[in-house]
Amino acid sequence: MHSSLSSGKRRVPLASRLAQLAETLGVLLIIAFVLFPLIWMLLGAFKNQIDIYSVKLFFKPTLDNFRAIFSNPILLGNNIWISALVSFLTVAITIPLGAAAAYVLSRHRFKGRNTLFLLILVTQFVPAVVVAIPFFNLFRALNLIDTPWALVIVYLSFTLPYAIWLLRGFFDALPVEVEEASYIDGCNEFQTLRFVTVPLVLPGILVAAVFTFISAWNEFFFALILTRSHALTLPVGILTISGPRGPMWEQLSAAGMVVMVPILVMSFFIRKYFVEGITVGAVK
Amino acid sequence: MALPQPSVSSVLVARPVKKPRQYRSGSLRWMLLGPGLIVIALTVIYPLAASFITSFRDWRLIDSPTPGPFVGAANYTRALTDAGFLNSLGVSAIYMVISVCLTLLLGLGIALLLQKPTPLNVFARTLLIFPFAVAPVLKGFSWRFMLNNEYGVYAKLIGAIIPPLNDYVWLGHQLSALFVIAFSEIWGWAPLFALMFIGAIGSIPAEATEAAKVDGATSIQIFFKITLPLLAPVIYIVALLKIISAFKMFDQIAIMTGGGPGDSTQTLYYYVYQVAFRNLDMGYASALSYILVAIMAVISTFYVRTLLKGD
Repeated sequence: MHSSLSSGKRRVPLASRLAQLAETLGVLLIIAFVLFPLIWMLLGAFKNQIDIYSVKLFFKPTLDNFRAIFSNPILLGNNIWISALVSFLTVAITIPLGAAAAYVLSRHRFKGRNTLFLLILVTQFVPAVVVAIPFFNLFRALNLIDTPWALVIVYLSFTLPYAIWLLRGFFDALPVEVEEASYIDGCNEFQTLRFVTVPLVLPGILVAAVFTFISAWNEFFFALILTRSHALTLPVGILTISGPRGPMWEQLSAAGMVVMVPILVMSFFIRKYFVEGITVGAVK
Repeated sequence: MALPQPSVSSVLVARPVKKPRQYRSGSLRWMLLGPGLIVIALTVIYPLAASFITSFRDWRLIDSPTPGPFVGAANYTRALTDAGFLNSLGVSAIYMVISVCLTLLLGLGIALLLQKPTPLNVFARTLLIFPFAVAPVLKGFSWRFMLNNEYGVYAKLIGAIIPPLNDYVWLGHQLSALFVIAFSEIWGWAPLFALMFIGAIGSIPAEATEAAKVDGATSIQIFFKITLPLLAPVIYIVALLKIISAFKMFDQIAIMTGGGPGDSTQTLYYYVYQVAFRNLDMGYASALSYILVAIMAVISTFYVRTLLKGD
């Protein structure tokens, strides 16, 4: 019983102490695995074009990269504007339509309701490339290639079914009794929806709006196919940040921060809903 | 038909005379549902139908801006002897196995290490959502940068630990390139799956593991005999999600390898993209995309079936 390590308050066997140490190291390793790529990009954004090719952690930070990406020839400001426009429009169309449909699918009982549910879920498995081929040809014929509108239209193909599914869950979680009270007080269905149901589901609607925004903001595949130069969103805009030796990593890191930081901030606010949101929508 | 009671406080009414659904109006239903359904029909059903029709036509954009003649199933039979397509099927399969296995293993590992709610673990759990939110394009760039054989920080780290791997060109060989691409994706998925596993482990009754400990079971026995079987349903659904995402993965390949070296990282999805938007062969690309749809349909059947059972 007399352990040589018993100088502490409690006598803990050596093996279990070692296990404890290994566990803590493991947790620190996880934190490093999760954070390191983010930190490395953050550091890269402030390195000059020589330091970027070294692995040193301490260097003289510079803001040159941010200056460079916002001036000629990259002009990332344009891409930010297009990305914001496309993402906001996508949210502005997706959320009202999605919430209205989700409400009906949650509260109304009618023939074909379950089939409709299932169909909406299944559309999320449709690979984007199948959607892209006909729309590419349609937009070419309509002269819509390289416009923000083209992107908003195709983005609806995945944001709307996703939002309906996510929002239906939030409507389902709201007890029907709240609405019953409003009916008894003499409100009709629309008034009840407008003044009782929607305000109560508002947090869920915000979560759906944030997820929709993130998926539009981060989207790359459609943007690559449907834009040329005028409607380049951030994910395709940053492809131009390359020199004769390939990507200019220091400027790319700075641009990466611009793409990433708004999304990370939004994610932080809806972190409680993340797992739920992804399991509904990960099939995108 | 009793009128609603002019009640003092409606909250106190235990049961309304009418069922709530009787208040729900049929015309409002279609006014609310209609716009959403129309948009889904236009943005999903229309392209699906259009692709299907195009898949039976000969349509090379270089030759003609309008679709050519119907050629029956020629586009589909062409796939059977197309080395590029057959190669892409193989690449997709290898990629799927690598990324699904690694994500599950890593996700489980993270979950087991973080399952106790100590302050450090709770802090670590909050961080787990962030990688997933990062744009896939950035994931591709960041991992490509970190694994560059000349100046990549991860490449140097690996080289320092395992000297023979110093200067190894990670994106220059098929298997290692697929591993690197997979890792850029796993970095987002594994932490998220870990969160789901932690939730599931939390719902395992503590008595079960306590009793096993009293009976002298080791932690390894407890994991394999209690935790893992109880996690099986979650692992199953999560594996399906990952399989689907593996088949749809595009961004990182475009950023990290462009399908290369050669066509060794050209997945089916990337190949369809190449045929459609590089070779501009719309007929053949549509047929290939329908083969992809068929594969996704099989996988999604399993997923939907599980979801419905869960409901």
